[in-house]
Amino acid sequence: MLEKILPDNFHKILSEKVNMRAVNEIRLRADRPVVVNVSGKNFFLCESGVTSNVRGALYASKIIIEDVIFRASECSIYSVNEQIKKGFIVTDEAVRIGIGGNMIEENGRIKTMTNFSSCNIRVPHVVKNCCLTAFPYMVGEHGVENTLVISPPACGKTTFLRDFVYQLSERNLAFNILLLDERGELDQGINSKFTDRIAFASKKVGFENGIRSLAPDIIVTDEIGQMEDVEAIRYASSCGVKVLASTHADSMETFLKKPLFEGLLKEKIFKRFVLLSKRNGPGTFEGIYNENLARIYNSR
Amino acid sequence: MKYVLIVIMFCVCCGVGYFFSIKYMKRKRFWASLIALADKLSLEINFSRERLRVLLANFDGANKKNLLEIDERFVDFLDKKCELTNEEIFKKAACLKPEEKDVILLFLKTLGRSDVENQTKEIQTFIARFNEIKLACDVEQKKYGGLSIKLGIVAGIFCAIILI
Repeated sequence: MLEKILPDNFHKILSEKVNMRAVNEIRLRADRPVVVNVSGKNFFLCESGVTSNVRGALYASKIIIEDVIFRASECSIYSVNEQIKKGFIVTDEAVRIGIGGNMIEENGRIKTMTNFSSCNIRVPHVVKNCCLTAFPYMVGEHGVENTLVISPPACGKTTFLRDFVYQLSERNLAFNILLLDERGELDQGINSKFTDRIAFASKKVGFENGIRSLAPDIIVTDEIGQMEDVEAIRYASSCGVKVLASTHADSMETFLKKPLFEGLLKEKIFKRFVLLSKRNGPGTFEGIYNENLARIYNSR
Repeated sequence: MKYVLIVIMFCVCCGVGYFFSIKYMKRKRFWASLIALADKLSLEINFSRERLRVLLANFDGANKKNLLEIDERFVDFLDKKCELTNEEIFKKAACLKPEEKDVILLFLKTLGRSDVENQTKEIQTFIARFNEIKLACDVEQKKYGGLSIKLGIVAGIFCAIILI
């Protein structure tokens, strides 16, 4: 998966000396040691695998970072410029690469990003059955409940969503599911029989067009972060379409302080809240809550 | 027998003249095709924004033939993680001058490295440079290409006269 984009020496070490199934992120920063996140913990990449000692760590350079981004774009930066403007690239194999560099703005609009100085390679995983704890709470007699998955970054939200869609398909629960894949990484490895996909569209456009054209029973989407996204969820809910979405927060307390969700919480649009962390590795269940924010599942 | 030999000698001399003129014809066709390729890239990058590999693969057959495999070798390079070098790219392009190779190498090195607007500007700059080289090639072809054929014919006639 990463052989096409990483420098040969980095890839050789990762594939031969590191358990790639446990690798969540690889961070390359210009003239800084390469950091590999293994099972939620950061290590430095070295000739013998990973180490917590910076001595002997392998360093990335600006040229390496530019080459990684060039290769991730399939040698065609211009073809992914719309993604670069948002600060990331997603490869055909759903590897998301966050990019750091200089944003070029013109008349208040982001034109492009240049002078790449760092990148964060997120390694996608398919973890079968990782949603099973929450599954019975999310699927009831009346079908799937509107659910919001909450966690800090890199705690397995997307993996959870993927597995949930897979589990519905496995059980032949023939809901028409629309994957609204804003960053092109949600669809990877799902292999569901009842799934349509709209990729690289904003939530607003994706929800409106998807509901109109594909008549889904459920819309699954990642990372709600703007008022426009909240309005799209409200619109779907008013159309009788169930929504499964995710957002960033490290606890229910932090989540409840987010003004963005105030309205949705009052209207009780979401019936379930699944809180994840990486306490015992990414995807650790911290709790499942109902629409009244009462905990209905406690992991501790 | 003598007349047969005269005809053969005449044909050989003309052939040699033609052989020397081919180089100029090849160069002229190469630059015309490279300009066509650059034009296509500029257009497609603006509209379809298709990946470089696809654009190069879809370049039309007649022009592709004249590119002396440079496009194919460049696509091969895209699949490898190595430096783009003169030796690799210009294996079948002996008729090009070193300074021309440098310009082409620079052009290939810029492909796919920037956003649509900058990429288009860069390609347009290179097209202007390619046009200048093509004009020089046209002049060369008229001057030396024609001259080679004429010299071949003259040499053929000269041989024939000697043999008679």
